[in-house]
Amino acid sequence: MIRAWRRLSRDERLAYLILLPALGAVFVVVTIPFVLVIIQSLSTEDGTFVGSVNYSRALGNPLLYEAIRATGVYTLIVLPIEILLGLGFALLVHRTVRRPGLRASIYVLAILPLVVPPVAIGVVARLIYAPGYGVLNVILDRIGIAHQEINWLGDPTLAMLAVASVDVWQWTPFVYLVLFSGLQTVPRESVEAAQIDGASGWAQFRYIDLHYLRPLFVLIIFFRLADVLRVFDHVFILTGGGPGTATQLLSLYMYRVEFKFFDTGQAAALAVVVLVSFSLLYTLIARVLPLERA
Amino acid sequence: MKRTALAGAMLTSIPAILEACSSGPTSGNNKPSKLTIAAVQGAEDGPLKKVAPMYQSQTGITMEVVEFPYDQLFEKLVTTFQANGSSYDLCMMDDPWMPKFGTMGALQPLDSNFGFTRDSDIPSIVYDVGTWPPPHGPVPPSEQSKSQHLYGITIVGNVEMFMYRKDLATTAPTSWDDVLANAQKFNKPNFYGYVIRGKATNPASSDSLPILWSFGGDIFDTSWKVKLDSTESIDAITFLTQSLKKYAEPGAANIDAADRDRLIAIGQAFQSTTWPAEVTGVVEAQGVSQVVGKMAYIPIPKGPGGKGLGMMGNWLLGIPKGSKNGSAAADFIKWLIKSDNMKTYVQNGGIPTRTSLLNDPALGQSNPYFPALAQSLAAQPNWRPRTDQWNAVETIYGTAVNQAVAGLKTPKDALTAAATQIRTAMKQAGYPS
Repeated sequence: MIRAWRRLSRDERLAYLILLPALGAVFVVVTIPFVLVIIQSLSTEDGTFVGSVNYSRALGNPLLYEAIRATGVYTLIVLPIEILLGLGFALLVHRTVRRPGLRASIYVLAILPLVVPPVAIGVVARLIYAPGYGVLNVILDRIGIAHQEINWLGDPTLAMLAVASVDVWQWTPFVYLVLFSGLQTVPRESVEAAQIDGASGWAQFRYIDLHYLRPLFVLIIFFRLADVLRVFDHVFILTGGGPGTATQLLSLYMYRVEFKFFDTGQAAALAVVVLVSFSLLYTLIARVLPLERA
Repeated sequence: MKRTALAGAMLTSIPAILEACSSGPTSGNNKPSKLTIAAVQGAEDGPLKKVAPMYQSQTGITMEVVEFPYDQLFEKLVTTFQANGSSYDLCMMDDPWMPKFGTMGALQPLDSNFGFTRDSDIPSIVYDVGTWPPPHGPVPPSEQSKSQHLYGITIVGNVEMFMYRKDLATTAPTSWDDVLANAQKFNKPNFYGYVIRGKATNPASSDSLPILWSFGGDIFDTSWKVKLDSTESIDAITFLTQSLKKYAEPGAANIDAADRDRLIAIGQAFQSTTWPAEVTGVVEAQGVSQVVGKMAYIPIPKGPGGKGLGMMGNWLLGIPKGSKNGSAAADFIKWLIKSDNMKTYVQNGGIPTRTSLLNDPALGQSNPYFPALAQSLAAQPNWRPRTDQWNAVETIYGTAVNQAVAGLKTPKDALTAAATQIRTAMKQAGYPS
């Protein structure tokens, strides 16, 4: 070890020394908890080693598959909508808004949903969708679209759409901001050359913009998938996972296993399973959608 | 001189060093400068916050009330107890939490450690709910060899009751059949005959348990065998989710207590179950409610077997094992439940446990539910099953009732599936099932 250290150049030693605090922090806040979770997933509450029992219980629980299904449906609703809307807004602003002041205002407006606490968003969303006094039903009634009260949070399909709509409202601006910044990197000369050659708006997007945005799509999918796994507050406030278990996403399910059932072994096993599954999923996505521009 | 001073300083520091190094908590006979209470945020701890400064001015001990929302308080306490932390000298506990904390051995016994005895002015059930293992009903297998001790003293004497519009109905419903008949009679467009609090998990569970019990159903029998799929249990939930639901508000599967209170307070509903805090906080609150003085409060109506069983929802004060100020914390509890101090507490919005205060006509004027609460306590209301697995059981049961309310499953299918899940969970926890 010491010999290897001595073989390093002065610059290399300095680089490692500078990295040391960051690596130490990662070790403390990521590695140690991860090792503890693995130990917990293989033990009972009193620390007795039980092998894969917790994993069998976690994977044998039908509620897990209901939660996976709900999370999958939620993801399939929110991700495409957020990406399409965010992309649409980004292209619209990029191509039509030229005044820096207006661009800055849109930028600030886009930041706002991201900085509002999810709990507050959940409470506001409840005022929109709640049975009896929900604003949405009142508006639909006033404009003559629906005179009967729509049970937004009591019907499984509508409840899922309601919780997903909150996510779309909060996170579409994130997609917009990332893609808009990506569009700023597209060389003006390429666009002007394409325009001189008579390329349509679609052709410009398809053959120039998309080329620069592709790695950002991977980034967005990575971030949003991680976020979907953490979605909790607004679902908890809006539906509490109901009706039944229709909107009980993985995060809510894991919370209940840990803090309602106090089944720490099963909760730890679930955490490991989810982590490994998503690592594999991320690897797959990274292969399908390359991070580097070709 | 220097050496002498140093030696003197070291000698005088020894007690402090020993104290700091002592491994476990102590009963703490010394008067502390501060007592910290972990409390639930909301109507339940409001009166406590108001009277705590009085104790502070009388004793010089600073009372710090640290508030948490309901769910977070439970999680915070469990994790603090697991670590034997000394952050809190007192903690507020919902009564269904007692089995978890009792099983964990997380609290200091109030009777043997601090000399608490029963007061004849306080119903025995109030002491029973703070006792572990439970003095009656089934005892968890792991707890059967433990000796009983008092671990918590009720400071919020919640019992679930029933409320209806007395300005519309001349007689009080005595049975659930009467409730159904009234629901049908008074139901009209934009005025609901009954309000179901049917949101998933705790709300649906709390709302339905009194009906379940009044119909002779239950989650467990006396030997922890699951009986949620019994005929009586299915009949009870069918009554709630099909018969009463015909006259209930739309979207009942997503209704919690605040939504129920809103419907009652704006005069859009005839009747429902209720908790005392809902009465004082909304339904009878001047300037908030349109039905002040129009509601009557009665114990839970009777089921087919002739019994009506209310549900306890007491909030207790206990002393965590990790507290280093046990004696001072116990003194505060003793001070708080003294008759005069409890009266001041009630005048500040508190819900008493003393029969003399519940039957005090002057206090009853501003708290119209007091007679019903006194009757409910005297009639020995039911408590939720005394098992450390209650949170899991409630989550499963409350989800099943919600599914039935939402019409996603028939009551029979929902309860049968829930019974199977509860059997599995209880078996894993070492209960016979």
